[in-house]
Amino acid sequence: MSAWIDTGLTAFFDLIKPGARMLSVALAYPMDWTKALLQHTPWPLLVALVTALGWYVGGVRLAVLGFLGLSFVVASGYWVESMNTLSLVAVSVPLALLLGGATGILANEVPRVKSAVQTIMDVMQTVPTFAYLTPLLLLFGFGPVVGLIASAIYAAPPMARNVMLGLERIETDIKEAAIMSGGNRVQQLFLIEIPSAGTQIMVGVNQSLMAALSMVIIAAVIGGFNDIGWEVLLTMRKAQFGAALLAGLVIVAFAIVIDRISAGMARQQQRHSRQGALAIIAAGALAAVLAWLYLPAAGQLKLLVPVADWLDGRLTVFVRANGAALDSIKNTAMFYGLLPLRIGLDGAVLPFTWGFLWAGWMSAALFAASAAIGGVIALQGRVAAGLSMPILAGIIETGIAELPWPFVLIGAGAIGFVAGGRRLALFSVLMLTAVLLSGLWEKALWSLYLSGAAVLTCAIFGGAIGLICALSPLAWRVVQPICDMLQTIPLFVFLIPVLMFFQIGEFSAFLAIILYAIVPMIRYTRHGLVSTPPDLIEAAISSGATTWQTMWEVRAPYAAPTILLGLNQTILYAFAMLVIAALIGTTGLGQSIFLALGQADIGLGITSGAAMAILALVADRLVQGFAAERRRALGL
Amino acid sequence: MTDIAPPDQPAIRCRNVWQVFGIGAAKSLPGAMDHAGGDVKHAAQILRDDGLVPAVQDVSFDVKRGELFVIMGLSGSGKSTILRCISRLIEVTAGQIEIDGEDILTASKARMTQLRRCKLGMVFQHFGLFPHMSVLQNVAFPLKMQGQGRAERLERAQEVINLVGLKGREAAYPRELSGGQRQRVGIARSLAVNPDVWFLDEPFSALDPLIRRQLQDEFIDIQARLRKSIIFITHDIAEALKIADRIAIMRDGQIVQIGTPSQIVLEPADDYVRDFTRDVAKGRHARLSSVLHPVDPDAPPAPDDPGLTVDMTLDEALNACMLLYEPVPVRGRDGQIAGMIDPADLANALQVDP
Repeated sequence: MSAWIDTGLTAFFDLIKPGARMLSVALAYPMDWTKALLQHTPWPLLVALVTALGWYVGGVRLAVLGFLGLSFVVASGYWVESMNTLSLVAVSVPLALLLGGATGILANEVPRVKSAVQTIMDVMQTVPTFAYLTPLLLLFGFGPVVGLIASAIYAAPPMARNVMLGLERIETDIKEAAIMSGGNRVQQLFLIEIPSAGTQIMVGVNQSLMAALSMVIIAAVIGGFNDIGWEVLLTMRKAQFGAALLAGLVIVAFAIVIDRISAGMARQQQRHSRQGALAIIAAGALAAVLAWLYLPAAGQLKLLVPVADWLDGRLTVFVRANGAALDSIKNTAMFYGLLPLRIGLDGAVLPFTWGFLWAGWMSAALFAASAAIGGVIALQGRVAAGLSMPILAGIIETGIAELPWPFVLIGAGAIGFVAGGRRLALFSVLMLTAVLLSGLWEKALWSLYLSGAAVLTCAIFGGAIGLICALSPLAWRVVQPICDMLQTIPLFVFLIPVLMFFQIGEFSAFLAIILYAIVPMIRYTRHGLVSTPPDLIEAAISSGATTWQTMWEVRAPYAAPTILLGLNQTILYAFAMLVIAALIGTTGLGQSIFLALGQADIGLGITSGAAMAILALVADRLVQGFAAERRRALGL
Repeated sequence: MTDIAPPDQPAIRCRNVWQVFGIGAAKSLPGAMDHAGGDVKHAAQILRDDGLVPAVQDVSFDVKRGELFVIMGLSGSGKSTILRCISRLIEVTAGQIEIDGEDILTASKARMTQLRRCKLGMVFQHFGLFPHMSVLQNVAFPLKMQGQGRAERLERAQEVINLVGLKGREAAYPRELSGGQRQRVGIARSLAVNPDVWFLDEPFSALDPLIRRQLQDEFIDIQARLRKSIIFITHDIAEALKIADRIAIMRDGQIVQIGTPSQIVLEPADDYVRDFTRDVAKGRHARLSSVLHPVDPDAPPAPDDPGLTVDMTLDEALNACMLLYEPVPVRGRDGQIAGMIDPADLANALQVDP
């Protein structure tokens, strides 16, 4: 199948290639200009500009943040690389904003376009980021322009989404007042509606910026540009983790500064004095003149390199000293958790690790027990839950990666039916059949297994952390900034710390996915539990319920739809990270996407990207279906 | 167009207006009317059975020039919908609407924009202020749409801002204002182009009672000076009785009664209207003209003349002839005797319904 797609698309791409190449050349100009501009601006001036912007938008707090963030970049010695990355972002974001904004406005004006746009954006959200790159590589050739275009495309949907949402949410009174003032449609839109939706649109700008940054970093895998993402990849490959961490932290610093300042712009509040901002810029200009005379260029400053080297040394010492402990963590998780999930108890339980061999009678006992438990549950009236018990036993027995395809199709159909009726069941089965026919079934199951294991872990630990945070505001005050940071960091950077301790391999990938995907689970669980209406809690307390009874009997059921949405987000995050994690050694679809990228094999790239998207989409719809069903049951 | 209009032509004329929400409403309506044999209630029921929502059913009324016409009803009665039909914020399903003799339902989009720029003003329940503009910019916006120059429109905007008592707050943004101040901005903005026809959609409903009363009084003052043709929507019967020249009471999409405040209070058309006016102190709203008897030419001249006039409220009249038992004369504005009234009847009319 991927071969057919390859032939068909190559012919099509050959047709439009000249146009694409022209665009590619055209886009190279603004990129080079921005690059030259950023490279030749004295760094003290740039630091001052960012600090001034921070001051203007958010006062002392953001000014300090901007100053420290950029100073860190200067001190790291990665100034030149950072400016290259920044120039990519600076060109791709306006493109993305234009593209997204125009799409959002069009969808708002023409109702028929709206649902189409929404569907496309839903799909785009589930398509793994790397899958964008392969076809673009073919069209635009290797080089930084591909990264530019990929990030412009990737960053457009959040903008479009927020523009649509913002325009939709304007009060009717305001829209009608614009009409009654005698404005024509264009005047209504540009003089009233878009400015009125300003806050929401700025949220879109913020999300768009973050998406573009993340994509620009990811696009570094195709190389050709001396940017900071490439630096991370290079040092990581050379196992220079100190340097990789340093470069990674530069990315984090950028991400946090850009995020906080643009989020500050989205908030409607009094701006701080212009004079202050101007004074900061003037100070920067003065420093720039002085720097001209006395200080070295930013690229030569390598204040933190000794720190990185030292860290590298310490790390080697630490890993050598604790190698046994780290290995045992890894092996325990692998042998008793991941492996049974992958190849099932019948394959994973060996005398070598578990101390005994899985025998036929054990399987029989497992199935009998699950059937008994399932029967009891079904008799209590929860038929669906009862039926799922033997299915679970079957999965544990065979392992996800070795499930027979009829079992998966029927299982998905059944879950779809329970979650959302006939249509959802049909959708799930058809989608998975497409994966089956693509010839990537085994790899898809591998991906399913790894993300499934990660999601399960995230659900358990993330749910627990969310619960604790709901009960204790103190815990939330500790966890919240960590969550904020984890969500701001571009995906790529997650690989560094896990690699430092656990080397290349499946377990590292598993950990990296968890690190990234656990955040929504924590957030939504807490939010769901905390936002139970106070009168419900008061009613429970006055009925004599204890804190825990209130939690289980009232708050948890009320929060269920929200928690399910969190689980949904976690699944999508896990799939997104899965492809990135393939960089450090997993098999499965992520690996195929990389292979395709390396060989510019567009058929394989698109089929594996599509297969990945389908898995994510089906999981997304199933969980959404359950969430919607719960919400209906609660009358929300 | 306005300058050659006959003097007795109504400012707004609605005939058999229907607003039915739902898909294919325009097609279903004639069929439903045929089927019901022209009976509006029956036709509405047929439409409802088809899953459509007949929000306004066969509504007809005239608003005279300079008249303050109040449409009163509970939420869901269709009162805001009919206003949106007349301002053509929504497209009418069937019927005729004229403003100053001009059929606005067939008017082109460009003509509607023109009308809104020059002739119509509207005030909204939740103010509808543009959050990114200052008070001055908000008020000047309709003038900007007219294409007026900057200096000119800011001067005019300042004028109306002074009129609504917001002088000194021109540079403020809507978020910095109280609810009452916001609605003053809304009123100022709707008056900026000096419209002939003024629509007010529950303008005071979102305000607290004290501010509401204050704004009502100022509104009456402004109207006394400007004499606009007004449609004013409210759900508050006391507000309607206080400000209206005439009131239309709506229920479930139909008009149940149209009349002056006195007529509404003293001669409610049905139990629904009676229910509304039950708690209203009639003496304060009904005027003597509504309870007058004609002069009996054979009767002897009245022994007492406490100086009643037709414009007095019942309360004032009763105070003046509290101790009298014989019928007393009531004089018109010209000083001639317009009719007689028996003090006992006066007391009866004031009785609150059981």
